[in-house]
Amino acid sequence: MDLFRRLFGKSDEDVPVNESVAPMRDSVPSKKPEAQADDSSDTMEVQSTNDTTDSADSTHAQSAEDLTTDDAEDRDTGELPSEESADFSPLDPVTRPVGPPPPRGRASVADGVTQPLNADSLTARKTEHLAFGQASDVGMVRNNNQDSAISFFFTSHSVEEYPDFGVFIVADGMGGHHDGEKASAVTTRILASSLTNDIYVPMLTSASDADRIPLTEALIKGVKNANDEVLRLVPDGGTTVTAVALIGDLAHIVHVGDSRAYLVTAEGIDQITRDHSLVQRLIELGQLTPEEAEVHPQKNVLYRALGQNESLEVDTSIRRLPPNSRVLICSDGLWGQVEEEELYEISMNSMDPQQACDKLVALANTRGGVDNITAIVLKIS
Amino acid sequence: MPETTQFGGDEYTDERALKPNTILINRYRVLGTLGGGGQGHVYQCRDLNFPDAKRLVAIKEMHYPGDPSMRTSTMATFQREANILATLAHPAIPKIFDFFDQNNRAYLVMEYINGNDLEELLTKTRELPMDKILEWAIDLCDVLYYLHNHQPEPIIFRDIKPANIMVDSLGKVRLIDFGIAKIFVSGVKNTMIGTEGYSAPEQYKGDVNPLSDIYSLGATLHHVISRKDPRLEPPFSFNERTLKEFNEGTPPGLQEVLNKALEMEPASRFQTALEMKEALAGIRYGAKPTGLTGVVSNDGKTGMVQTDLFGGVGAIEPRWKFKTEDEIRGGPSAFRDLAFVGSYDTNVWAINRETGEFKWKYATNGGIAVTPVVDESNRLVMFGSEDHTFTALDFASGRISWSYTTNDRIRSTARVAHDHVFFGSDDGRVYALVAGNGRYLWEYDMGAPVRSQPYVTRDLIIVGAENGEVIGLELSGQRKWSLRTRRGVTAAPYVDEVEGICYVGSFDGYMYAVDASTGYSMWRFRTSGPIISAAAPVRDLVVFGSADGNVYGVNAESAKEKWRFNAEQPIVSSPVIRDENIYIGGTDGNLYCLEAKTGKEIWRFQTENSITAAPYIIDNMILVGSMDRTLYALPLVD
Repeated sequence: MDLFRRLFGKSDEDVPVNESVAPMRDSVPSKKPEAQADDSSDTMEVQSTNDTTDSADSTHAQSAEDLTTDDAEDRDTGELPSEESADFSPLDPVTRPVGPPPPRGRASVADGVTQPLNADSLTARKTEHLAFGQASDVGMVRNNNQDSAISFFFTSHSVEEYPDFGVFIVADGMGGHHDGEKASAVTTRILASSLTNDIYVPMLTSASDADRIPLTEALIKGVKNANDEVLRLVPDGGTTVTAVALIGDLAHIVHVGDSRAYLVTAEGIDQITRDHSLVQRLIELGQLTPEEAEVHPQKNVLYRALGQNESLEVDTSIRRLPPNSRVLICSDGLWGQVEEEELYEISMNSMDPQQACDKLVALANTRGGVDNITAIVLKIS
Repeated sequence: MPETTQFGGDEYTDERALKPNTILINRYRVLGTLGGGGQGHVYQCRDLNFPDAKRLVAIKEMHYPGDPSMRTSTMATFQREANILATLAHPAIPKIFDFFDQNNRAYLVMEYINGNDLEELLTKTRELPMDKILEWAIDLCDVLYYLHNHQPEPIIFRDIKPANIMVDSLGKVRLIDFGIAKIFVSGVKNTMIGTEGYSAPEQYKGDVNPLSDIYSLGATLHHVISRKDPRLEPPFSFNERTLKEFNEGTPPGLQEVLNKALEMEPASRFQTALEMKEALAGIRYGAKPTGLTGVVSNDGKTGMVQTDLFGGVGAIEPRWKFKTEDEIRGGPSAFRDLAFVGSYDTNVWAINRETGEFKWKYATNGGIAVTPVVDESNRLVMFGSEDHTFTALDFASGRISWSYTTNDRIRSTARVAHDHVFFGSDDGRVYALVAGNGRYLWEYDMGAPVRSQPYVTRDLIIVGAENGEVIGLELSGQRKWSLRTRRGVTAAPYVDEVEGICYVGSFDGYMYAVDASTGYSMWRFRTSGPIISAAAPVRDLVVFGSADGNVYGVNAESAKEKWRFNAEQPIVSSPVIRDENIYIGGTDGNLYCLEAKTGKEIWRFQTENSITAAPYIIDNMILVGSMDRTLYALPLVD
C-alpha cells in the first residue's frame, strides 16, 4: 500500500467535502520526493515477497495449507526442480552436503509444528514464518542425559493478526543421583508454563495488551520461579538455563550459566549470551587467554546457576532477528566440542533446522561426545 | 555431569568418618567430628598420654590419593609441610603437636580451639561490631606478616576465608586451616557451581605469592563487613559492591583500604601485610592512614569535582540572551538564521540567532507551552496555543499561512512528517493536517487530553494520552496497537527506527520499551518519579530524565541501569545528544552537559528558573529556554 493510500485510506465520509480536497490528494505523492521513495520501496517489498511465496497476502499460519502444498511440491521437485524452488532452497537433494549421520536411537527429536514431515522430503519448503528443530543426546561418555529442552511455537492467521510466538529453552543440569536431570527438567517446565500463563494465555484471551507484563519481566519471573522450584524439589541439584522467547521477529533472551545462544546471519555467528563461568570472567578481566581457558582445570566452574541460592541474578537481552537468520541455543556439550565456524556452517547451510540439530549433535559425538549435547535451531525465513 | 560439588562439597559422607571412641596410634581417642570437607574430617580427640588432665586436641584427617605413585609424592609433601608448620610460633596460629599416617590417611594433631569460625559468626549474628572486625583484621595482618617473613622461605597461607578464621573464647582470631590441605586436592572434572570467592586472580594461573593472601584477606573483610557472600557473586566483583551500600557503619577510609587490597594486579596492592595493618590501625585507632598514597577519597557524589572547577555561572558565557514577557515552557527551534521560541506571554518570537536581535513576533490569544516546529519544505513555523488554535507562520516574515482550531487548549508539540503535521489537543484528539495548507485529514479520539508530542515513523504515528494510553496509528489514522500504562503519558515517545523499538515514559514512573510495529512490551524500567522526559539513544543506552531528580542511562538491550546522574530537583525536559554528550535541563534551572558513557557531569549552566523543555543544538550553538523568561544562546563547548 503506498503512502497516498495509507493517508487517504479511510472511507470517503471521513474526509470533509471540500473543494480543495481533490487537487491536494493528487499533489501529495507527486510533489514530495520522500513520499515517492517510500512508495517505491513499499512496492519492492511486495515484489520480493512475491518472489518467495505463491500467496503474498497470507503471511501467518499457513501450516495446514503448507502441509498439503509441500507434499505436492516435494513430488514435483523430486522429478524436476523448478527455478522457483531452486531459488528458495539452493540445497536440492543432489547437491545437499552429506554430514555425519544422526546417531541412531539416541537423538530425541522434536519437530516444529510447521515441520511434521520427515526432514529428507522437505526440499522445497516455503515458509514465511519460523521453522525450528531440536535434538538432545546423552553423548558417548555419560550414562544419563542431564540436559532438558522445550520448544513451543504458535502461529496463526486471522484478522486479529497475532504475531508468531515461540519459547525455546535449553537447560543443562548438574548434580548426582539424577539431581541434574531433575533440575533441568523442572526448570524448562516451570519456565515454559510461566511464560504460557504470563504471555501466551493473555495474548489469546484478552484484546488488551494491558494484561501482559513486558516479556523480559516474564522471562525473569519464569527463571526465578524455576530457581525456587529447583531449590525446593531438587535441593542438591543445579542447572543452567538459556531461553529465547519470540514475539514476531523480536527475540528476548534470558540466560544463567554456560549454555549459549548464538545469532547466525549472513555476516557470521554472534554469541548473544555470556558464560557465567570462572574462566570467562578471568578472560574478561584480562587475567586469562581463551586458549588458557580451554585447558584450565577449573573451566567447568560456574559462578551462577539455578539451584544455588534464593536470590538469582538473570541476564536478559533483546535481538531483532533479520531475515534469513538462525538462532542456535545449545548446551556446553555442543559448543565445547564444535568450533564456531562449524556451528555457523551447519546451522546456516543445512536443509532445514531439524537436520541442522541432528548434524550438530552427530558432530559433537564424533569429537568424543564427552558431555550431553543439546541443540535447538530456529530458522527465520 | 554426574556429580555436583557446591562450595567444596561434601562427597565424603559420614560413613567414612571415624566413629567415636576410635583410638588413633594408641594415643588419641576420637570424641566427635568437628567438621568435614572434601578430603576428610576434623575430629575432636582426647590425648591419652595425659590420663589425669582432659587435654583436647583437634585432628585433621586427609585421604591419600588411591594412585600409588601420587600417594608417595603426596606423603612426602605432607611430611615436609607438616614439619614446617610444627615450628611456627604465633598467638594466632594453633600449635601443631604431631603428625602421622594411618590406614592410608594423613593426620595432623593441633591445638583444639573452642570458638566459632567467622562463617558461623556471619550466619549466627546480624551484625558484628565494627571495632572488633577491625581488630581481627589487624591481628590477621600481623599473622600474615609473620608467615610471609618466615625463613628460609615465606609461608603463604593460600586460603584465607571466613571458614578458616576462628574467633576463640577470648575473642581472639586464629587461623585454622593451612594450605596444606591443598596438596590433597585433585583437579576438578565435573561442572561445579560456586567459586572459591576469596582467591586472587593470579591464583587461577597457578601463581601464588604473599600478595595473594593480601587479596584474600581483603575479600574476607569485604564479606564480613558487607555480608555479601562473594561465592554467590561474579568472581572479582568486589568493586561493584561498595561497603556503604550494605553497611552504613563503614568507617571512612575503610573502602579505600579494601580497594587497595583487592586490586587485580598484585603490584597495585599493599606490598606487605604490615602496610595493610598500618592502614587498618589508622582507621581503628585514629592514626593517619598510611600506604594509601594516591587514593582520592570520594564519597560517591559524581561530578562534584568537575562542577567546582568548571561549572557555575560565569564559566560559560552566553553568546546572547533574549528576554520574553513571560515564562518559556516549551523548547526553542531554529531554521536558517532564525531561532524561534514560544512564551507564556502568548507570543512566538523569532530572533536572529547570530546576534540575538528581535526579528518578529506573532501574538495568539493564549499562552504558548509548546515548542514551535519548523516545516522546512514549506518554510513554515507551526505551534499550538492555549487559545485552542494551531497556527502555521511563514518562517521569515511571521505572517500567518493557515490556522486550525481544536476544541480545547493545545499543549502538544507538533511533529512534521510525510508532508503532514500531527499534534494532540486537550480535547482528546490527535489531528493530522496537510502541512502546506492546514487541510484537515483525520482525527483520532484518545478519550483524554493529548499533550505528548507524536513520533512519526515510516508507517506509524505513536502518541500518548493523559489516560495512560500509548497508541500506534497507521498513517490513515486507524489504530494499529495500544499500550496501557498506569498513569498519564505526557512524554513524547521516541522510536529507534533501526531496531524498531519505541521508548516512552509515563507518569507511573516507568520507561517502557515496546516493539514499535506491534506495541508488544519488551521491558520497563522503574524510576521513583513520573517520567515526562523523552528518551534519547546514545551508544547502547537510552537516556532520559525522571521527576525523581535523576538522569538515567539504561542499557537498551538488557534494561539494566548503567549509570544515573542525580540533579536533586526533578528532570522534566528531554535530553539532546551531540557527539556522545548529553544536554539536559533541570527544574533546578541548570542545563547539564553529561558524558554519555559514564553519566558524569562535564559542565552546567545556571539559569534563574526551571528548564522544562529540551535544548536545541544548531551548528555550534545550544539554544535553551528557561522559566526565567529568557532564551539563552550558549556556545557549544566540550
